[in-house]
Amino acid sequence: MGDQGTKVGVLGGGTMGVGIAIVMVRAGHQVLLRDTTDQGVEAGLKGVAAFLDRSLKLGKLDADAHAAALARLSGTTEVADLADREVIVEAIFEDVELKAEAFAELEALCGPDTLFHTNTSTLSVTAIAGKMRDPARVVGTHYCNPAPLMKLVEVVSGLKTGGDAVARTVAFLEGLGKTTVRCGDTPGFIVNRFLVPFENDCIRALDAGMGTVESIDTAVEAGLRYPMGTFRLLDIVGLDIHKAVSLSLYDQLRDPRYAPPTRVDQMVAAGDLGRKTGRGFYEYETAGLMGT
Amino acid sequence: MAEVRKIAVLGLGTMGTGIAQVCAQAGFEVAALEATDELLESGLGRIDAFLRKGVERGKLEDAEREAIIARIEGTTAVEDLAGSELVIEAVVENLELKRALLTGVAAVVGEEAIIATNTSALSVTEIAASLPSPERVGGLHFFNPAPLMELVEVVEALQSSAATTATLTAVAEQLSKRPIVTKDRPGFLVNRLFMPYINQAINAYDEGLASAEDIDVGLELGLGYPMGPMKVLDLIGLDVHRHATEAAYEQTHDTDYAVPPLLERMVQAGRLGRKSGAGIYEYEE
Repeated sequence: MGDQGTKVGVLGGGTMGVGIAIVMVRAGHQVLLRDTTDQGVEAGLKGVAAFLDRSLKLGKLDADAHAAALARLSGTTEVADLADREVIVEAIFEDVELKAEAFAELEALCGPDTLFHTNTSTLSVTAIAGKMRDPARVVGTHYCNPAPLMKLVEVVSGLKTGGDAVARTVAFLEGLGKTTVRCGDTPGFIVNRFLVPFENDCIRALDAGMGTVESIDTAVEAGLRYPMGTFRLLDIVGLDIHKAVSLSLYDQLRDPRYAPPTRVDQMVAAGDLGRKTGRGFYEYETAGLMGT
Repeated sequence: MAEVRKIAVLGLGTMGTGIAQVCAQAGFEVAALEATDELLESGLGRIDAFLRKGVERGKLEDAEREAIIARIEGTTAVEDLAGSELVIEAVVENLELKRALLTGVAAVVGEEAIIATNTSALSVTEIAASLPSPERVGGLHFFNPAPLMELVEVVEALQSSAATTATLTAVAEQLSKRPIVTKDRPGFLVNRLFMPYINQAINAYDEGLASAEDIDVGLELGLGYPMGPMKVLDLIGLDVHRHATEAAYEQTHDTDYAVPPLLERMVQAGRLGRKSGAGIYEYEE
């Protein structure tokens, strides 16, 4: 570590990869963002810069901190460029094989102390470590979206994860200003383990005629004091994503509360995916409109 | 839709006092019924204490407090409820007791008055069935503490008429609440969603998914819930939750409502939550 910060490699220039890269450069670490294509790298770097520019405008970062954060960021498409990284954070597509191969390939290049963090939300950390010679260094670090704003990181121990790797990971995350919770390699970890069946219960209550989309959201917001009604939240998450997450957890847990109700299949089939398509449980004037 | 000016509140326990206060604050005349003079005094005293705290915090003028208190007439005689256009029953969760009391009250207020029950665990339909003109009966389910919680569930019994639902919804709006209409099924809407979540949390904790603290912190920071499930359980009381979820399980045979084994053991051990000094967590006092 030291003044230059930790050398971090972030795999994947999507929403989560960008969010994690922002967290890292803001905390003083050197980030090398890797994506498979030039366009992917470009888009990822732009995403980080755009967030930092906004922070500067809003007065959350001063000009020096803004310039320093940007200077700590670079991108590549070459896996070999990650050889000197001390921490690898993987935020690529949710596919076990893809993630396991990426880690195995990097293990051959990186030093023996490099930590391998996976940001998977629904896959098994044990399985992602499955192709490594030293799986003790693989730890699940599940950031919440948007990563630069949400304090929580779930720290997940796979079957082969070592206590030393977990301790180093927790210390590293605390250095980022994150609050950590620990759990085993169980499907959905803590947050999604509770959120997904609750969402499906709300959909089933709607199907059972216990209320309307609006009244169930009111019940959740005013009765349980959750920050957002379930249907408003599902429209932001996207019904296609909710279906995929539900099915993945259901496959692993075989508990019917996780099975997506038929209405979800129908909404996905009809293209009513939520805000991004202009219609989900609610209708939206502008497709993809996000609250400001 | 019937116009409501005077509301009878039956029972001045935690929920009854909150409901009587909310009704009087909204300008309704309130007739509050309790079984004994002592219980009446104590209930009215708690309403006054609550309002005085509001005065201290500058939320209302002392004159307003006096006016609110003046609108509540306490009584132990059912006859004094005559002239009430709406009855809100908030006595202990015992079907026979509620039925016996409401039968007497119904005879006094007449068949035009709307009768609402604040039950959370009993069948509104079953309560309605024992009363004359059951179509004027419905549920009006407030949340604790009633003066602060915005949501009110308007519960439609099988017999409830559309006019009854409309009147209950309108009154809830006049109380500055956010009413939602739901069906008379176990747990209504909020507890139907809430109980499986709490049961899942106890079972997950029992099975070692994570520590109680980490489950709470995870859901507070990860989902923005105002309080994690383990803390909530300690606050509402493990015995109270056990009773509610058991009632829902008996009616549905849905295992999501089944009493978690650890919850049963903790109740047996007298670990009821904050009120007993220990529940999921330990408390100093």
